[in-house]
Parts: sequence; C-alpha cells; structure tokens
Amino acid sequence: MNTLARVGTSICTNPETRALHVTASCCKNRAARIRVGKGDRPLTYEQALHPHHIGHRKGWLSQHTSNLMGENGAADRTVEDVFVRRFIFGTFHNCLANEIVIKRRGNMLVVCALMLQRLPPQKFYFLIGYTETLLSHFYKCPVKMEVQTLGDKAVYKYL
Amino acid sequence: MLLSSLPLSNLITELAIVTKQRHIHSFQDSTAAHYMFQDDPYLTPRTSAEFKLYSLSQESGRLAAKHIVNTNPKFFQKDFAEPHIPCLMPETMEPRIEDVSEAALLERIMLRKVKAAVDMYDQLLQAGTTVSTDATNDLLDLICLYGDHDPLQDDKPEVEDVVRYSSGISDVHIFNALISAATEVREKYNEKWDLIVELLKQMNEQKVKPNLLTFNAVLKALRRCGSLARAQSLHTLSEMKALGITPSLASFHHVLGIFYKTGNYLMLTEVAGRSFVPQDPDDVYFFSTAMRICLETKDLESAYRVHNLLNVGENWRLLGDSFQQSIYYGRFFNLLCMMEHIDVVLKWYNELIPSLFYPNPQGMKDLLQALDTDNRLDMIPQIWKDIRRMGHDNKSDLVEELLSLMARDRHSPEVQESFAACALDVRSLYKQGQVAKVALEWTTASMTNITTILLAAQKTKQAWDMLNIFKTKNRVPSEELIDEFLVRIKDGQQAVELVQISASFCLPSTPNLAQRVLQEFELSEEQRYGGGGQKSICIPGSYLLFIHVLVFSF
Repeated sequence: MNTLARVGTSICTNPETRALHVTASCCKNRAARIRVGKGDRPLTYEQALHPHHIGHRKGWLSQHTSNLMGENGAADRTVEDVFVRRFIFGTFHNCLANEIVIKRRGNMLVVCALMLQRLPPQKFYFLIGYTETLLSHFYKCPVKMEVQTLGDKAVYKYL
Repeated sequence: MLLSSLPLSNLITELAIVTKQRHIHSFQDSTAAHYMFQDDPYLTPRTSAEFKLYSLSQESGRLAAKHIVNTNPKFFQKDFAEPHIPCLMPETMEPRIEDVSEAALLERIMLRKVKAAVDMYDQLLQAGTTVSTDATNDLLDLICLYGDHDPLQDDKPEVEDVVRYSSGISDVHIFNALISAATEVREKYNEKWDLIVELLKQMNEQKVKPNLLTFNAVLKALRRCGSLARAQSLHTLSEMKALGITPSLASFHHVLGIFYKTGNYLMLTEVAGRSFVPQDPDDVYFFSTAMRICLETKDLESAYRVHNLLNVGENWRLLGDSFQQSIYYGRFFNLLCMMEHIDVVLKWYNELIPSLFYPNPQGMKDLLQALDTDNRLDMIPQIWKDIRRMGHDNKSDLVEELLSLMARDRHSPEVQESFAACALDVRSLYKQGQVAKVALEWTTASMTNITTILLAAQKTKQAWDMLNIFKTKNRVPSEELIDEFLVRIKDGQQAVELVQISASFCLPSTPNLAQRVLQEFELSEEQRYGGGGQKSICIPGSYLLFIHVLVFSF
C-alpha cells in the first residue's frame, strides 16, 4: 500500500506538478573570451585580452562621465553606444579593423575608428560625411569621426 | 610718392623681412592638409583633383544623409537637445501655417511653393490687408525664378507675370538687375552709358536709394564701356563716398579691370589694412585679379602687399572656392619664382605647398627654372619626389625638362649620385608602360639624358642597359654619347662590344671609334678579328677596306 502510494505521488508520473531541473554548475566566466583553439585563428589585442584586464592591460572602448558618482544617464549612454556601434559596423561593411572607440567631449560625440584600406578614399569620405550627418540628426548633437586606416588587421596572437 | 624717395633695394628688403615674419593665416598649419580631411596618409589628398574629389564626395555623403532625414522625419522627431537645435531637426516640406496672413505667405515663399504663394497673395489682397514691400519683393523674386509654375519644371520665367505684379512697384533690386542688363541691350559705348544714366535718373525720380550693389553694377557695366570707363568710374567712386557707402572688394575688382595695369598702386593704398566682409558675389575675384596684374607688371612689392591683405581680419574668407584659391596662389608662386632669390622661393614653396594649393605642371617648370637660374640644381631630386607625389610624373615635357637639367652640367660626386638615383626612378616610370599603366613614351632626348646622368655617376652597368633599350626602341644614340662611354670603359671586351653596338647603329663615327679602341686598349687577337667580322656587316665598302687594313696591320 505504501509503495503504491509513493509511486503515485512521484513527480514524473503526476502531470500536475512542476519541478526545477538542475544540472551540475559550470563555474566559468565566458564573457568576451575567445578560447584556445587549433592555432589558426588570428586575434587582435582587443579580442585576445579578457575583460578582467580592462584597466590593467586594456583601455575602455566607451568614454563618458555618467559612471562617476552623482552623474545620471549611464543607461542612455550605453544604449546610444550600442546603436552607434551597430550603425558603424553596418555602414562601413567589412572595413573595420577593430572595435570602435566612442568618446564624449562636452556636447560632441567622437567616433574613433580603425579601418582597413578596402575602399577607395572617396568612398570613405562619402560614408564619413553620411555617418556624421545622420548621427548628428539622430542624437541632436555634433558627431565627428576620426578615422585611421591600416593595410591589414593587426594580429596580436593566434589561438 | 613715398616709393620714389627710398632706394628700391632698401624697400624690397624691408618688405621681405616684414613678410617673412608673418604667417599666411594665423591658424594655418603648413605641414597638414586642409582640416576637412581625415588625418591619415591614405585619406589625405595629394593632387588638386583628389582634393576636389574627396571634398565633393564628403559633401555628397552629407546630402545623402540629409535626404534620408527629410524623407523619414518620423525617426528624427525626438528632441532631447537643451536648448532646441533647429538645424538638426528634419526639414518640413509642407507649410504649417494655415490661416491667411503675411507669415503664411512668407512661409510658402521660403518653401518655394509658387502656386500656393500666389494664391495666398491673392487671398490677402481680397481680404484687404496690405502686404509689406519686402514680402512683395520676395514674391516677385520667386516668380522671376520659377515662372508661373512650381519648381521641378524646366520652363523659362514668364516676363508677363513680372510685369503684372510689378506695376507701380519699383525697387533697388530691380534697378540693379536692369543696370547689369544694360550692357547687353545696347551696342555702342556711349549708348550703354546713356542707358545707365537714364536708369539712374529714373531711380532718383522714384526716390529709390541706391545701395552698394547698384554702384557695383554700374562699375561692372563700365568695364564693357571702353574708353568712357576711366573718368566715369572715378566719378562713381567719389559718389559712393559722398553717399557714405564703403566700396567692397567687388568695386575694387571692377576698377582694377577698368584701369588694368596702372590701377594697382591706387587700389592698394585704398584697401591696405582694412578688413572686408563678403557683400557682393564678385568680391571673390578681387584677389586673383590683383595678383594677375602684379604678375603682368612684374611687381613683387605689390604682390606682397596684396598677400598681406589676406592676413587682415576676415579677408581670408574672400579668397573664394578652391579653384579661385589655386589661381591666386598659382599666380603668386609664378611671380615669386620669376623675381625672388631661390631661398625665399623655397621658403614660400614649403609654406604654400601642399597645404594651400597644388601647383600645375607649368608651376613646377617655373620652379625648376628658378632653381636653374640660381644654381641650385642639387635640389632637383627632392623636387622630383614632390612631382611624383602630386601626380605630375606622367607629364612628358616636365619630366624631360627635369632630365635635361640634370644631364647638362657636371656637379660634385654626391650630387651626381643623387641625380643617378633620381634618373633610375624616372627610368622605372618609362618602363612601367608595359604594365598597362598610363605612362611616358621613350624619346631620344630622355634616353640620352638618362644615360649621360648614369655615366656621370659611374653607373656603367645601368648605362649599358640603356643602350639595349636604345636598340629595342629603334632609336639611335648620338655620337657624343658613344664617346662618353668610351671614356668610362676600362675593359677591352666592353670596348669591342661598344664598337659592335656602334656599328649596328650604323653611326658614321664607327671607324674612328674602332681606331681609338685599337690604339687605347690591349686587345687579344680574337677580339680584333671578332670585332672586324662584326663590323663588316653594315659598313659601306670603302670603310670595310680601311678597317681590314687597320686590323691586319697591328
């Protein structure tokens, strides 16, 4: 009788109960880390160093004052940053050599980018003029781009 | 006059010192390109064509973005700028003010809605409200520009509409336009002037006050009036002063056009030290005209004075667009190359180029001429690097001039070395023609010069290669060239080869050459016979006999 009762109340047979499924935990950080592989994948310095090196061996990709004590607007700045990064990534298709750096100086937004020399210079200038004007109108503040070009991506390591 | 009381040399040195102390513009960096470009070697323009291309493509990118902003205004409406920035909001194309008022009329005029503006004007008149003269003038301008139809159509403006709306209204703008048109309507000089005087009298009757543009229109019309012009233009200027209207640079430009060469001193005393504001579209031509007159009269001091005028206040804005600027600086540099000592020329060269303008091939030729005059031909390799960077290395006359200057005289060994390196660089340009690049064609002069330069620097091996090029391009080297080779050659085998080459070109001096070779060099029997055999191929019979005699006698 007891055995039967226990079987009847088991979770898997009873359709009206819910439970929590738990697996063994994987106590590892996986954020912004490219794992060691075969040795044929080229990485830039930015990609090769892990996030805990920020402030020690890496700089910041986005510079603004809203993370200081008593300042507002950190979330808004972050959302703007994400939009600007995606916008530039799409506009300068396949030309970015590295992550862009966004600096806010006063009212101005300065986008510093490293580009590859995949397009002729007049096309670069067209896209730069287009980006600056469109982002200025979107964010209602002056947006300037500072572009440097490279022949190839600067490889730091192969993993 | 003050100028005649001082010895001229003192004055020139004084002016030169004063001008050396000043910079072109206080904010200009002579080592960088224009600030609108990105600071990167790949993205910096090197020629004037690239300058124009990059600046225009940047501008067209901006226009494309504005178009997208204006066609999708709903994404750009969120206004979080404190205070409000109107120029960053999307432009509205439809008029917003709906009621019948003058503000609505002005808005429609600004949006270039011709039919709507005309309807609004009629409604205003019917409602009895008087429309101000400014608004009426704007409406008239709109109709003159677009005719009876809205823009986006290509019809010419209808004159009847202008007449219909302008009865009884007279305005200084209309008179200005009529004065400008007066020169087209009449043929003879005095008839033109009479028409202008009549128009001015009408203006007076209608109590319309002339403004700066009226006088500028009169002066511009006077340029087409020939001999009448000089006296009348001075009268016009004095009337301007009597009315208290300060002449703008355009007035001076027209007067310079009338007085041509003699007008320069007069103008410079008037304009010296004054800061001008753009008031007339013709203002931008003043500087290039003034510099042209300085160039034609070979007047260096006036040129410096004109250039110093650029430093005063906001005058740099009046230099015009990049085309006008290039004309101005081109003429200035031309004058400097002609008249100034080479050190001063090179100082100006470093300041002006390439940050302010890109000289054309003629300008580079003037610079080479100046180097030649002052015996500074050792600077040529550096100038060649600049020529390459500016993209003038495909201009054959410039390159040949450069080569002939290098090949002409003898210089010290280091200079000859640098010349030889430069000549090899030039040679690579000619050779590249095979790789489907627009390149230079070999000429006899260029080949001879390159060979001479290489020989002078003891680069005999490359000089031999040049002789082979002579062969492949079917050109004949001169006898002096072969003689020079003979002077440099140390080896008997090479001497024999030289004679063979000379024979293959059928040069008349080959027998003498052969004789000299036989005398000056130690030759083995085989070389002598081998040489003789080759020689017999193309030499005429009498020479053949002579040579055989020579060969067998040694």
